[in-house]
Amino acid sequence: MKNLRRGSQIIFLVFFLILFVQTEYKGEDELGMPVRLFLDFDPLIALSSLLASHAVRAVFLFSLVTVVLTVILGRFFCGWVCPLGTLNTAVSFLRMRRKPKHPDDGNFPRLRKIKYFILAFILTGALFGWNAAGFLDPISLTIRSLAIGYNPAVNGLVRSILDFAYMTNIPGISPGADTLLSFLTGTLLAFEQPVFRQMITIAFLFSVILGLNFLAPRFWCRYLCPLGALLGVIGTKQMFARVDVDKGKCVSCHTCNRTCQGDATPFPPGSWASRECLVCFNCSDVCPVDAISIHPTLQSTGDGNVDLQRRWLITTAAAAAFSVPIVRLGEHNKRPHPDLIRPPGAINEKKFLQRCVKCGECMKVCLTNGLQPTLAQAGLEGLWTPMLVPRLGYCEYNCNLCSQVCPTGAIEKLTLEEKQAVRIGLALFDKNRCIPWAMGRNCGVCEEHCPAPGKAIKFFDVEAVNKNGDPFIIKRPEVDPGLCIGCGICENKCPIIDIPGIRVTSVNESRAEYMLYM
Amino acid sequence: MMATRRTFFKVLGAGAAWALSPATKLGSMPTMPDGNIDFAVVRGPDAAAAVKKAVSMLGGMEKFIDKGDVVFVKPNISWDRKPEQAATTNPIVVETVVSLVLAAGAKKVIVADNTCNDARRSYKRSGIREAAEKAGAEVPYMEARKFIKKDLGGEVLKQWEVYREAEDADKIINLPVAKHHGLSNVTLSMKNLMGLIGGRRDLLHQKLPECIVDLTAYFKPDLTILDAVRILKANGPQGSTLKDVVRMDTIAASTDPVKIDAFGISLFTDAGFDNDLALFPHISLAEKKGLGTSDFGGAGYQEIKLG
Ligand code: SF4
Ligand code: SF4
Repeated sequence: MKNLRRGSQIIFLVFFLILFVQTEYKGEDELGMPVRLFLDFDPLIALSSLLASHAVRAVFLFSLVTVVLTVILGRFFCGWVCPLGTLNTAVSFLRMRRKPKHPDDGNFPRLRKIKYFILAFILTGALFGWNAAGFLDPISLTIRSLAIGYNPAVNGLVRSILDFAYMTNIPGISPGADTLLSFLTGTLLAFEQPVFRQMITIAFLFSVILGLNFLAPRFWCRYLCPLGALLGVIGTKQMFARVDVDKGKCVSCHTCNRTCQGDATPFPPGSWASRECLVCFNCSDVCPVDAISIHPTLQSTGDGNVDLQRRWLITTAAAAAFSVPIVRLGEHNKRPHPDLIRPPGAINEKKFLQRCVKCGECMKVCLTNGLQPTLAQAGLEGLWTPMLVPRLGYCEYNCNLCSQVCPTGAIEKLTLEEKQAVRIGLALFDKNRCIPWAMGRNCGVCEEHCPAPGKAIKFFDVEAVNKNGDPFIIKRPEVDPGLCIGCGICENKCPIIDIPGIRVTSVNESRAEYMLYM
Repeated sequence: MMATRRTFFKVLGAGAAWALSPATKLGSMPTMPDGNIDFAVVRGPDAAAAVKKAVSMLGGMEKFIDKGDVVFVKPNISWDRKPEQAATTNPIVVETVVSLVLAAGAKKVIVADNTCNDARRSYKRSGIREAAEKAGAEVPYMEARKFIKKDLGGEVLKQWEVYREAEDADKIINLPVAKHHGLSNVTLSMKNLMGLIGGRRDLLHQKLPECIVDLTAYFKPDLTILDAVRILKANGPQGSTLKDVVRMDTIAASTDPVKIDAFGISLFTDAGFDNDLALFPHISLAEKKGLGTSDFGGAGYQEIKLG
């Protein structure tokens, strides 16, 4: 059974990584792959989004499949499917090679509660409109950490090695590196080296989660994961995979507890905790006397489930309820943050925050690498939600990829025509920096690139005098706020490399209450 | 003003009275033997046939390509726009040129451009990648590692990053599309060479005419074929609505980039778009530098109509 499970884990991890790599423009306007599939099947994302936004979406039906299977099989998802679970298993495997110091080395059954409190906090918060699930939901967390943290790092490393090999100009090596790199970009690697704000932070946090496996095997899954907690609760009565320990045969060797992935304590007989069991089959596989069997039964085979003590649960829920209004306080509620340019299709800000789970799918897929994780621009509630940073990348006129990958509808699916009509911000010249205005020289790179039909940047021929006092005609650019869609290509391409002569801010966005001009 | 000027040159050019005659039709007209001219204009709805004819009027592709050459073909692939939008070179023109070059014995043809919009999208939507590959070219993306600093020896551009494969190629064929440009009014063959360089190209706008003349002097394309099947007469260089596109069904070919550009400007006048050579300082700068002559209708001019 163990090998079967490992096979399943590897297959799902590979599938997850394939979808991850496919979350990029691959030559068609529509992504050919259901890249957000894992998120669609995630009941925690569905539940928290449903509670927070009071809106039912058809895609949530997928997660019901997971729910039904969990009722029957228990936390099989954690043991057999979850990509973060598999990564944790892999790291734990490194740890388990060393000799245990005592029989229950690495097991901390008392910590099992934490994840239920985290879950209670998240769900109560969601009930009051704060969708914090994505911070700790394993699927969302993994996609975000890989997209923003690990992927740029891996890309940078491979590229710099191959670039170096190419630069050596050694026959055989240089062309080989060139061919390999051309092949890799757009297949396994990103088309262009991605750069993300907060890359180090997000990568570090993920590394901590993986590192915790050295404290206890699958530390995250056992003690922290809110999805694991939810699936545990749903699957408490799992009728097809109950662990049964034969008291008569058991020789109290603790081997089962030592190999148990979920700290579900099959030993001593009767203490097995169904909600903690990841259905990994390790215990029945390793028992030297075959005292353990896993089989379908409607009878109770253990009573080791975690006692959550109602008052602590209530306290947690109350804490969540009270923290909602507090996390919402912030300067962004007084005035919209100028830098907070949301991707096209992002729904009204309040509703957007209730839905966005910060999974990073949109940031991964963005063609130009312009979508970046928000830091404080939208308050704590909006941490790691997407915003366009025009200096880093603009919104490509004919692209609507981000709206195709959003799992929660925080970014609405738009047709290309609809998307092109959405204003995400407005460009305004800084005439003290813009070259034709401030320096009396022609430039107009912004005008050249502006894709808005009829051009939102227009030239006006103005007579000026040069250094010698001779008159000449200069083309001074101006923005037409009625045409500008805020795509940001003008700011992106402005030759003033640091602070541009034209800047796009969030004002005038379609979803705002008021337009800048009447 | 330009229209009359052009006609005037035509009359002078090659003493070809036939060009003015409304009765002039292919087949009936007394053409000069192919290969004795250096400026060919072919008008007609079949772009592939027009390209082939124009090249043969100049003496055939073999005149420009030696056996075993590596040829760099530079269409305009700058934008994520469809061929109908006339912001990028017509894919049929690219395809035809690539097959002519290969038929002339070239070892390898590379088609590439340093795009403004996302390269993947531009290569695809312009139809150029598919067309060029079909004809047997390699169509790589210009990758950052392949730009190398070179001494361009220009008036303004002293040192700049140049695309290695264009630098190393035996021949360069320039395939611009004729279209409007906000700053320089039109963008034609010389400006198209900006796609062969990397670096901070956005800085070039401040001295655009000088820069594109420097680039032309440096790259010296061996042949230029101007795609004016459709021209974009406003809101260029990437355009948006089809309202700005005019069908001209015209192909011009020459080894003289200045002639091509001067002719291109006249096309806009024909399309009812007010233009004047004085608005295009790069023409006179290029002339001064000895890169060619703006008198495109002079000796060596031939125009025919197909279909
Ligand atoms: S922000 Fe614009 S360019 Fe980026 S994925 Fe969304 S639609 Fe595409
Ligand atoms: S943001 Fe700039 S480029 Fe985009 S529509 Fe507005 S003016 Fe044009």
